[in-house]
Amino acid sequence: MITTDTPSIRLRAQGLSRRFGGLLAVSDLSLEIREREIVGLIGPNGAGKSTTFNLLSGFLASSSGRLQIDGHDVTGSSAETISRHGLVRTFQHGSMMRTMTVEDNILIGAIGGMRGGSRHERARRVRETAELVGLQHVLGETAGNLPHGLQRLASIAIAFAPRPRLLCLDEPLTGLNQTEVASVLATFRAIRDRFDTSILLVEHNMKAVMRTCDRLYVLHHGQLLATGTPAEIRENPQVLAAYLGNVNVD
Amino acid sequence: MNERFFRQGLLAVALAALLSVAAGSGYAGNLVIWIAIAAVLASTLRFVLLIGELNFAVAAFFGLGAYASGAATTLWQLPFGLSILTSGVVALLASAAFGYVTLRVKGPYFLLIGFAFTEALRILYTRSEWLGGNSGMVGIFPPAVLGDYFPTFVVAVAGALILLLARIEHSHLGRVFVAIRDNDSVVRSVGIPVHAMKVLCFCIASLVAGVAGALQAFSNNVISPLDFSFMLSTFALAYLKVGGERHALGPVVGAVLLVLLASVAQRFGGSEQIFYGAAIVFGVLFMPDGLTGWLARRRTARAKTALPSPAGEMQ
Repeated sequence: MITTDTPSIRLRAQGLSRRFGGLLAVSDLSLEIREREIVGLIGPNGAGKSTTFNLLSGFLASSSGRLQIDGHDVTGSSAETISRHGLVRTFQHGSMMRTMTVEDNILIGAIGGMRGGSRHERARRVRETAELVGLQHVLGETAGNLPHGLQRLASIAIAFAPRPRLLCLDEPLTGLNQTEVASVLATFRAIRDRFDTSILLVEHNMKAVMRTCDRLYVLHHGQLLATGTPAEIRENPQVLAAYLGNVNVD
Repeated sequence: MNERFFRQGLLAVALAALLSVAAGSGYAGNLVIWIAIAAVLASTLRFVLLIGELNFAVAAFFGLGAYASGAATTLWQLPFGLSILTSGVVALLASAAFGYVTLRVKGPYFLLIGFAFTEALRILYTRSEWLGGNSGMVGIFPPAVLGDYFPTFVVAVAGALILLLARIEHSHLGRVFVAIRDNDSVVRSVGIPVHAMKVLCFCIASLVAGVAGALQAFSNNVISPLDFSFMLSTFALAYLKVGGERHALGPVVGAVLLVLLASVAQRFGGSEQIFYGAAIVFGVLFMPDGLTGWLARRRTARAKTALPSPAGEMQ
């Protein structure tokens, strides 16, 4: 069965589920991300956001469901294959090579995205990427020695160096101060505007999510609770209940 | 800086080759050969450490190389150059199959499999009559042309192999290897096939170990299964630990030092196994980065005391 997609749909997940023993971590999840869209994936702790990220990026095999990137069926593909189809993700913790220099960290991303590129072309890609996210002045530093904010930027730089068409970022703003958050959000928009990149964000910083995202998906107990624009989500009574319920439990 | 490293490396190999001419082909010549081979073995061990794995199968691929040259020379009457090539190819193919299957596990599991593979191959040699069984193979001679210069030939080939490994380490491929050791998830996330890269790293190291095995067979003229037990992997680890694994020179320094000291120890009737064991313990306890690491730290310390200004602390 071949579904004919309009080319503007970057990622389409249909009925993704993942079971861990008796626990249904993600259940019958369907979502779509279009070209140049910044989409937020939110939900209380334990809602299944990380599992969803792992399913979309091929780091975890789904128990059922289908996954398409730019119209290609990548269901069951390895993480490497999915990455080569243009979906690159970061990790919540330590999404970089701590013992290597920032330059070499970004270089690894460039190597991943530029098969057959020359040394010179890769070096240029590293420079471009560093300037884009604002790391050009720390290229020679060991990544593990950088302050937290710059480490976050480094992980974004690694992931964007292959020039993915869909960038999936797992809590990229955690631990950043307000100025840093503002500059990272500006970087996201710059990436989107200059490269037509779509971005999927898992993020707890609601203010930032509401301000930046075109659309949101809300997960709760592994299921899709709601989807819509930030304004729609803000007024959705189910979403409010899920979040308030979570607060009450705490 | 890279280019300087390789120019100095080439110079060092040329010097070592010249020195080996002075050593002649007697006892000193044999010592030179063993130092060169030991340095190559320890360098391949270090090369696989780039992806974070301790390769105890190094003795197995060294042995495969030696037996391949033995069979090529004495059974199939292949010329010298082709025999060495056969050794490299046999080690390469075997390591591709071995690496493909085993590099899915990490750390102690990989180490144990390497250990088991080495011992299994050794027992296989003893049961293979066409390879001479327990007593091994005899009559593996280098061409007469090389004559007294065989040690020099070994040093030149060993030096070239070590430089080749250093060159790859400094390339982008080498950067990928180190990145895999540091964080393989990130490497996978940008689309680099991590498993294939690990197998490639292992194959390069094993190819080099196989050629070193050929050199060993031709220099000893005789090989037997016991030459290729896991003890050889342990020796290589001792050279690496004493020399230091941070720098490509570490294994070379370790090999020179330990082989020379061991030859002295043997003269006093000391057992070299105990000696190597003690060297590992001493190295790990007192010089965690080996001799090269210790020297590098002393140099930085001296630079700091000489120039206590903040400018002096920029390395």
